[in-house]
Amino acid sequence: MATEVIWWIFALGIIALSAGVVFSRSVIHSAIFLIGSLAGVGVMFVILTVEFLALTQFLIYGGAVTVLVLLALMLTRADPSGRAEKVNGPQAPFALLAGIGVAAVLLVAALSTEWAGNTESPTNIAIEAISQRLFEDFGLPFILASVLLLVALVGAIIVARQEEGE
Amino acid sequence: MLFADPLFGLPSWIDAIIRIVIVVLVMTVFVIYSTYGERKLVARFQQRLGPMRTGPWGLWQGFADAIKLVGKEDIRPKNADRWVFELAPYATFIPVLLTLMVLPFAENWGVRNLALGVFFVFAVLGLNIVGILMAGLGSGNKYALLGAVRAAAQMISYEIPLVVSLLCVVMITGADTGNGVGTLNLNTIAALQEDRPYIVLQPLAFLIFFTAMLSELHRAPFDIPVAESEIVGGYFVEYSGIRWSMFQLTEYASMWGFAVFGSVVFLGGWAWPFGVDSHWALQLATTFTKALAIVVVIIWIRTTVPRLRIDQLMNFSWKVLLELSFLQLIVNGIILYYDWPQELLALTSAVGAGFLIFLIIRHASARSTKGLLGTYRTLGASSS
Repeated sequence: MATEVIWWIFALGIIALSAGVVFSRSVIHSAIFLIGSLAGVGVMFVILTVEFLALTQFLIYGGAVTVLVLLALMLTRADPSGRAEKVNGPQAPFALLAGIGVAAVLLVAALSTEWAGNTESPTNIAIEAISQRLFEDFGLPFILASVLLLVALVGAIIVARQEEGE
Repeated sequence: MLFADPLFGLPSWIDAIIRIVIVVLVMTVFVIYSTYGERKLVARFQQRLGPMRTGPWGLWQGFADAIKLVGKEDIRPKNADRWVFELAPYATFIPVLLTLMVLPFAENWGVRNLALGVFFVFAVLGLNIVGILMAGLGSGNKYALLGAVRAAAQMISYEIPLVVSLLCVVMITGADTGNGVGTLNLNTIAALQEDRPYIVLQPLAFLIFFTAMLSELHRAPFDIPVAESEIVGGYFVEYSGIRWSMFQLTEYASMWGFAVFGSVVFLGGWAWPFGVDSHWALQLATTFTKALAIVVVIIWIRTTVPRLRIDQLMNFSWKVLLELSFLQLIVNGIILYYDWPQELLALTSAVGAGFLIFLIIRHASARSTKGLLGTYRTLGASSS
């Protein structure tokens, strides 16, 4: 019962914060609402007792992706005071269309999938089990993914690198 | 999740609140007295007396400062982004407070005993940057913005060696637990060090951890984000009164958190040298002594080493610490996979630590170098 109340509080909070991302007039406010919304999703994972996923959510989306967004905002805009500016352009209807499309696909996928395990009272999965699956059963795909990331990293450095004498 | 039984058989959430209050009170006392202790120590290093007027030996100085700060006017610049500016101090403080929740201060004594303790600490600490960026962006001040960019760049860079050096220790716990599976639980990590602390096996990892910790805490010589002679006061330059003291509280609280965390992971926490069966008061005293030793070394370094330049700082992280930490990880992996004796771990790591110290001393004593730790030019040399 208590868990359900907490679930609803956080669900409404996530929706409110996500609405803030879309409707706030300043890009910086949007980015900060996004952090809150993603952290709320992390709390949802805690309620589902998947601690590892929750912490990964905090680490990747809370600590890394949104910091990247904020840094990009800082470096690309001349005015740091976060004053209101026009963020809607002629792309707005297309963005709406894309948003509805993604939401529809996700909803259909979520509703039509036969979920494994007990969805009413989820149980915690030990970190040992996750790491065994990741590093032993799916070792090769894991290594391939890390090689891909490494290549992307090296590529980004080469693109961003200042040439000698420039 | 829970440590043993709740105190006095209370419901677990009341028990949690009591534990949080105790941990926060200890943290507050530490913050008040570490500002006093820092001023006293720095004064000693500079042949001064430090605060002497408030109370015997100036012992009430911290409280006097706290009262003064609370009484100050809370100024918000006209140009500031109101909500971002006002919420930033809380956004920096909450992650630090959360890390204190998983630290074991004595055997089975902390707020919560998470199976993923180590991962929790660095996952939550990453959120700290968001608050600093909020302060920089919300102030509407170029100095604050520069300070926030510097802080973010520095903290992101040093987080990688920090995490990898912790992974090195977590790998070794796999050899100690007996079933070959390592642990991320801080309480178990401390208990596994009953015979020898992991600093003996991993001196290089400890050095990397300590350096990265200085950088994450913005302590000298890595205090570039708050360098008062370059960018006035860093990301919190526009804050005053209670909000400014929130930032200061965050700084010292995270120093406390990191000191306890480092003493648990590397120095044996409550278990070494008195063993896991010692009295809880002794365990508590052991943890506190180790944590305070780390704090004293941090202050000592502040008075000894001059501030680095931003390019030297970045070079040191990406070209020295990152490589050495990965090397340590790979060497550990090989040794542990073939079940070679643990003395070999200590030996290889000590060689690496020696190499790191040699590198630092060589670059610090050279008059003009162009190498791993950045470019130094003597005065008058032409810059292209």
